[in-house]
Amino acid sequence: MPYIKEERPETLSVEGEWNIGATTWKANRLLEEFVKGLKQKKLIGSLCLGCGKVIVPPRNICGRCHRRMEGRVVVSDKGTITCFTYTPPAARGKYKVMGIDPVEMGVVQEGEVLVPVFVRFDGSDSNMSLPLIGVDPKEVYIGMRVRVVWAEEPKGELSDIVGVEPIK
Amino acid sequence: MRRVAIVGYAQTQHQFDMDKTREDMVFEVVKEALLDAGISREEVDTVITSSSDFLDGRTISSVFLSMAAGAYLKDESKAEEDGTSAVWYAFMKILAGTHDVALVEAHTQASTFNPHLVSFYTLDPLFDRQVGLLNDIAAAAIQARMYMSAYGVSEEEIARVAVKNLLNAAKNPNAHRKIPDVTVEEVLSSKLYYHPIRELMMSPLSDGACALVLASEEKARKITDNPVWIEGVGCCQDFYLRDRDLLKLGSLEKAARDAYEMAGVRDPLTELDLFEVSEKFAHEELMIYEALGLCRRGKGKILLEKGLTEKDGEIPVNPSGGALGADPVCATGLVRIVEAAKQIRGEADGYQVSGVRKALAHGQFGICAQKNWVFILGGER
Amino acid sequence: MWRNVAVIGCGQTKHGRRRDVSLAEMVEDAAWKAMEDAQLTPNEIDAIVVGNMQGFGGVAHPDCWVGDWIGAPGKPVMRVATGGTTGGSVGQAAIYAVASGMYDKVLAVAWEKHSDSKEPGATTGLLHVALGNLAHALNYGLSLKHLIVTQAVGAAAGVALYQARFYMHRSGCRIEHLDMVAAKSRRNAAKNKYAHLRWPGCTPEDIAKTEMIAYPFRFGHICPASDGASAIVVAAEDIAKRREKPVAWVKGLAAYSDEENQLMSESYGGVGVLDASEQMGCRVSAMKAYKMAGIEDPKREIDVAEIYQPFPSQELIFAERLGLFEEGKAWIALEEGEMEIDGRMPTDPSGGVLSTNAIGSSALQRILEAALQVMGKAEEHQVPKEVRNAVAHGWGGVTNYITVTVLGDSPR
Repeated sequence: MPYIKEERPETLSVEGEWNIGATTWKANRLLEEFVKGLKQKKLIGSLCLGCGKVIVPPRNICGRCHRRMEGRVVVSDKGTITCFTYTPPAARGKYKVMGIDPVEMGVVQEGEVLVPVFVRFDGSDSNMSLPLIGVDPKEVYIGMRVRVVWAEEPKGELSDIVGVEPIK
Repeated sequence: MRRVAIVGYAQTQHQFDMDKTREDMVFEVVKEALLDAGISREEVDTVITSSSDFLDGRTISSVFLSMAAGAYLKDESKAEEDGTSAVWYAFMKILAGTHDVALVEAHTQASTFNPHLVSFYTLDPLFDRQVGLLNDIAAAAIQARMYMSAYGVSEEEIARVAVKNLLNAAKNPNAHRKIPDVTVEEVLSSKLYYHPIRELMMSPLSDGACALVLASEEKARKITDNPVWIEGVGCCQDFYLRDRDLLKLGSLEKAARDAYEMAGVRDPLTELDLFEVSEKFAHEELMIYEALGLCRRGKGKILLEKGLTEKDGEIPVNPSGGALGADPVCATGLVRIVEAAKQIRGEADGYQVSGVRKALAHGQFGICAQKNWVFILGGER
Repeated sequence: MWRNVAVIGCGQTKHGRRRDVSLAEMVEDAAWKAMEDAQLTPNEIDAIVVGNMQGFGGVAHPDCWVGDWIGAPGKPVMRVATGGTTGGSVGQAAIYAVASGMYDKVLAVAWEKHSDSKEPGATTGLLHVALGNLAHALNYGLSLKHLIVTQAVGAAAGVALYQARFYMHRSGCRIEHLDMVAAKSRRNAAKNKYAHLRWPGCTPEDIAKTEMIAYPFRFGHICPASDGASAIVVAAEDIAKRREKPVAWVKGLAAYSDEENQLMSESYGGVGVLDASEQMGCRVSAMKAYKMAGIEDPKREIDVAEIYQPFPSQELIFAERLGLFEEGKAWIALEEGEMEIDGRMPTDPSGGVLSTNAIGSSALQRILEAALQVMGKAEEHQVPKEVRNAVAHGWGGVTNYITVTVLGDSPR
């Protein structure tokens, strides 16, 4: 390794732990409205009655106006790609994500290329982060039009949105 | 030096396991404080919040709360301990002349992560945590026993502190614990943790938030005609648990001395009308009397016996119920400042003490009150 | 009103994987070095400000324990913690403490000890930023595949990846420029004896040989997870003027916060910031800090910048936000060698966060390095020109926190 390395003697180590599992987080009910909409293949966003911004998925508070985003609107399930990236072909043991090896767990196929994109759906003023399905990264460009790929039978869960695909 | 005043405040109804997220709780309390001051979010120059990562169960606990706290595109920072520390920071920012109006907010939802467990995690990981015998209740129990045997204080006398504060809390609409008919017997028969610390001698685990607005003199005069001036501030940290003399609250003594000096208070007993202190354990209040210079070492119980610290006594202490009434950990000290300001402004409906012109508010953090902040507040009339 | 403040002493530990010291020893090392440099005994310090991201070390509020080691007992101590900008917030709190007139000499210490946690690198602490949100989303049926593709593809990089893509699309910057920035950082770090990843003579081609994580970030572009601490002593004008050694005066500071980023927002809610490289908070902070400092044209009046850049794209993005280059042109200046140590606008002569990242202390280290440049004490990585004004920048939170501090060789 070309780096300048410094050798240091190791001192004593003692074990300890910190019990994050003893935490109970409180959550709001905004996602509930959102997934209900997903069951009907609808994307619901929140509207700020102060500045008119539409945020998808719904947000609680508009920071600029310092008021709750009380309005609810349905935005189109078609949108534009505003940003994208892609991984090299997945391989076992390549990287761990939160302690999981995605290929080993069977979540990702060997050799699969993942393309996460930011999509701005028509009618919303926010980006949503989703996987782009079935496209070679070389064909993707910012400004590409895409549409949501819905699950076969939406169950009212976040996984009802499988991803997005280009509009042909 | 510039003068800084409290011009508005708000607090939640502190309770067990609030049915609200942190975001909602913080948003509502900040909105209320701004409404109380009568200013809009635009007029605020800086926002300082106070919360603890471990207590909120999230690293960078304030990062998802900037919008709720009204800090969008505003100078923001976070003091990670008791709310009084955030007020101290905001106070210094206004004194420095770079900002005129500051919003301070503090919150904790104790139902998220047990604060006693967090106190355990503040211990030295190399020895104390390995041995595993100490935690904040055990350390307080050790301190209580030392105090009791050194100065001949009985369990009943400590229970009487709890009774005084709980009865006061029963009249405070924001308090968590309301037991209007509590007796010494009830306190002494409540659940035992580490002798002599019992359930009703300890502060409850509350969810709550508190916010207040500070302003420089020129702005304060425009915002309100009833400002509460911050006349003195003192702050001090003590040694780590093992190296300390637990028989006294040394850092509180020093913090109080600094605050008195800055406010020009020479005799707290006669010059201060009201005291709002953070007593996480009942025996701490007796030690606080001594550290604040209200009586000599070991004589705290006499003030209590003679009824001097009752709500209608000569030197009322904790007419709001203190921390024993509600303890939203990081917000506790800030609530004390707000309660003291309330009394000065005459807005404490149902538990108002008459003729309060100068008051003291105290916040603490750390095992056996390792860190202490003292504020001297003064009204106009 | 404002009282002039100067940085009169600096101290930092060597950064790296420090299994040779405990947390307390490491913090003590930096704090005492700073006090020695300032020629003060611990008794002469009036107040202390400390900070770190406690999730990494697993010790809650470590200042209660570590305080004894840095002379805290008997003094006012404040703990400030704001994620990645912790160090910057700690430094700024110390500056306000002196500027307010309440304290004359304040010690600011910030640190991080990543190697104390079992999980590799910075995962433990970073995970806990959004763990509650992710748990909530998983509760609503977020599929593991979706989670891995969107959230965790940049587990090491997160939104910085998207930020880089927005910038590259807008400005025409290419992955080669990121290689150039990373190589420059490693080369500069080789001249800084306290840095972590030091690679003398590193070239962009060396960086380009490393594996790709997700386009456009390579392994060679990622900052390390270092253990380390840094400390500065700030003092009031009269004390600073009595020093026979040069000091670095604080001329302006600001810390405006913005809306949090898309990926980790509370309960999966959307965010109104459409361009992750917009960083409005940085623009506003820089404007306020320059105004305080009386700087009207940062391109000409700033001599060196210490930018908080855990990823190479951020050096370019923030250099533009700080007004040091024209919008979208930082990568051209990089090609022309302007950002090198001996260039027209040297950025991160110390190697920056790309080569040394002890998260809690990194932003304070930027202030420290900027101060060293102004004082002429940066030894091997001192820029070879007169430094009248330097800017130190901090970034953190979930891309919503910023601190900007301007230091100079003369008081306001």
